[in-house]
Amino acid sequence: MLQFIVDVLIRTSDIMLVAVGLSVVYSLVKFPNIAHVQYAMLGAFGTLALNRTGLPFSLALIGACVATGLVAVLLNVLVFKRLLRSGSSIAMIGSLAISMILVAVVLGVAGSRPFRYSSGLSSPINLGSTAISVDQITSIACGFGCVALLAVLLFKTGVGRSMRAMSSNPALAAATGVDGARVVNGITFLSGALAALGGTMLGLTETVHVGLGTNLLLPVFAAAILGGLGNPLGAAAGALLISTAETLVTNLDFGWLFGTSDVYVPVTYISAASFVILLVALLFKPYGIFDREVRRV
Amino acid sequence: MNTMLRLQDVHKSFGGNSVLTGLNFHVRTGEIVGLLGPNGCGKSTVLNAITGYCPIDQGLIEVGGQHVNGLSAHQIAAKGVRRTFQLPSMPTRMTVREVVMAASTRSHGLFSTLRRSGATRRLEHETRERAHHLLEELLLTKVEHLPAASISGGQKKLLGIACAMMEQPALLLLDEPMAGVHPNLRSELVTTLKRINGQGITLVIIEHDMHFISETCSRCIVLDKGKTVADCLPSELETHESVVEAYLGKKPGGQYRVAGVIA
Amino acid sequence: MYSFLLHVATLSCIYALLGLALNLQAGFAGLLNFGFVAFAGVGAYASAITSSLGYPAPVGVLIGVIAAMVVGFAMARLGRNLASDYWAIATLAVAELIRTVALNENWLTGGAQGISGVPALFRSASGVQNDLAFFLLALAMVAIALFACVRLSRGRFGRAIRLMREEPALAASLGYQLVPLKVKATVTSAAIASVGGSLLAHYMSFVGPDYMLASETFVIWTMVMIGGLGNNLGVVLGALLVEAIYSAVPFAKDYLNISSDIAGAVRLGTIGVVLLACLLVRPGGLLPEKIRSAT
Repeated sequence: MLQFIVDVLIRTSDIMLVAVGLSVVYSLVKFPNIAHVQYAMLGAFGTLALNRTGLPFSLALIGACVATGLVAVLLNVLVFKRLLRSGSSIAMIGSLAISMILVAVVLGVAGSRPFRYSSGLSSPINLGSTAISVDQITSIACGFGCVALLAVLLFKTGVGRSMRAMSSNPALAAATGVDGARVVNGITFLSGALAALGGTMLGLTETVHVGLGTNLLLPVFAAAILGGLGNPLGAAAGALLISTAETLVTNLDFGWLFGTSDVYVPVTYISAASFVILLVALLFKPYGIFDREVRRV
Repeated sequence: MNTMLRLQDVHKSFGGNSVLTGLNFHVRTGEIVGLLGPNGCGKSTVLNAITGYCPIDQGLIEVGGQHVNGLSAHQIAAKGVRRTFQLPSMPTRMTVREVVMAASTRSHGLFSTLRRSGATRRLEHETRERAHHLLEELLLTKVEHLPAASISGGQKKLLGIACAMMEQPALLLLDEPMAGVHPNLRSELVTTLKRINGQGITLVIIEHDMHFISETCSRCIVLDKGKTVADCLPSELETHESVVEAYLGKKPGGQYRVAGVIA
Repeated sequence: MYSFLLHVATLSCIYALLGLALNLQAGFAGLLNFGFVAFAGVGAYASAITSSLGYPAPVGVLIGVIAAMVVGFAMARLGRNLASDYWAIATLAVAELIRTVALNENWLTGGAQGISGVPALFRSASGVQNDLAFFLLALAMVAIALFACVRLSRGRFGRAIRLMREEPALAASLGYQLVPLKVKATVTSAAIASVGGSLLAHYMSFVGPDYMLASETFVIWTMVMIGGLGNNLGVVLGALLVEAIYSAVPFAKDYLNISSDIAGAVRLGTIGVVLLACLLVRPGGLLPEKIRSAT
């Protein structure tokens, strides 16, 4: 049971930060930014590169997050804003192109093999019959801690209030004096940094490889959509839900259905669980499970 | 069928906002009826409810004697109901003529389009002719080959009417047809609508322009706060107490002397 | 050199077929399908599986078409209430689901190894596929598809889906049923794509789950966007262009002796840059959609 919870928490923290980042910026840009998951990949590689130059892990992480945040802002200002003038579909396809370019750059520079951070081998801590490594604890703590911080930022500070105002109604917020450009750039920076953090954590618990972002695409979108795009805390809840479902599906013994024992869903189908959840979610609650908006025709 | 359109005790709210609060009115076949009222009284909601864009909470809507509440927009359209939109949005990648031709919805299936039998070719020819005729009637021939989104707002309104007319509807609901149309074209539009009515089509027109209403409509229904407050001739509007109250609010004691147009 | 050019030409034809199919759905009907490659993949696997069971090629193509149409139907019905951006992600999920099944069900699809030894369609005396004959077949298929797509897009069906694409509220008010239109467009597109997939299987003699990677859909999207979304000839041109770039890179790789990672990166990066440039500078594509009055 404890192993189950640990597995769920690890998987949740893997996708949560990236999903939250996506959700935070969605209401501003109004198109699904496929390149967002590649920010996670960039962050992971950024931390790796800085770490390799001798910086301690935590500093490398901060540097990578800042750098990725800046990349996100730059891309938004130079590319996405222009593309959005032609419509959200064009912007979405454009994010596809950016995604390809980012992957190509990293592939060309770093190659396709997996990397690990040189944080040193740490022996796993044993809690009863479950084992959990220091890296995994770091990842979970980081993930949940950041989401908690974000919640405080959004709901308890003036800056957060501006951000929420911009998210729900940019035009109105601008009219009431919220400095549109600064808040937009701030939100974009934050989403990029969050993605980078999430990517690094994922790299920590698994490996850093060029396909890291692409593998996150559907689970992250599933979590963000489940929670309601534009609802960052909802995205965190969505991530939890997806992880629980994924872990549950592969750990449940379906033997009782077939009259035997030890019938498990193959681990390779684990990703399918999040796709199915996403499809079901889109069918019944396309605006998210927390949707309470009233829409006048 | 004497009554073309009937609304009975219709209620609709959005969230906590009650827009229609027990609405009743009817329209007889062949009439031109104007639907008026101050902003927020529910006119557009009524139109959306009748044409299937907005389900009602309670009440009855009948078109030609048949229940239509709960039906979808295309199902109601199939019964011979057509509407125009207050802010018409037109495709950017189709010409005006193509849009009108697209308004002919018969026989648009895959196989008939691929096969292009004699029947399909004849239908295409008919559609083209009728489209051309309607565009002439509505003074849109000059912009026939332009992208539909590039014409003026008033012209888009007229295009909307042309589309609605393509399949000779029984009931045509117009949402502020004069808004955005050049005042010089007003008399042309009045003539056109009367001609359409002469072909047997029942018209319900939401409008604010009083001149237009008095020239076109045989009867006026005035809404306020989601209810019918007046059902009278256009000439009676200015002096009708409930109408004045609806637009200008209640004045304690004394009569209003309203000269000229009620805005 | 001749066989290389013939190879590029043949692949261009196959991808042109896929491009025309996607254009029907995305260009004319406005349905952003990001799981499009599933249709081609299903066709490819159908051909491979039926051939390995001994059935002649046309049977495989037919089964592929039917299976792809079922998937298309499911996707279209899935989307009946969804806004286009959400639907795009849903189709991506469906394609990934199908790919995961293909990856895992060894008994049916050969798992990660795929199915090899798919028989060539035109065998010369020595048993080697007659490439020229295959190219001519592929070319004929493109011609037929082009004819069909042009006729559909200019006729009543085309006007219906194009109106639905931009102004669904207006279309509904005129009596169009939007869901059946979406289904028809998607299912037709799926059928054409499936034929392309079957051709690919026979041409490459191999089918694998990598055929259905999301990146494959993105390549086809690139072809359509660069060539011209909503223009049938445009997408054929786009297919030729992108395929030429795609094939030139491995060519250069062997010539310049660069690693496969770098080659892969250059390929992907070039496509990405070209697509982005196209979107920024000429979003309509090289041959934008023609706005013409019905003649």
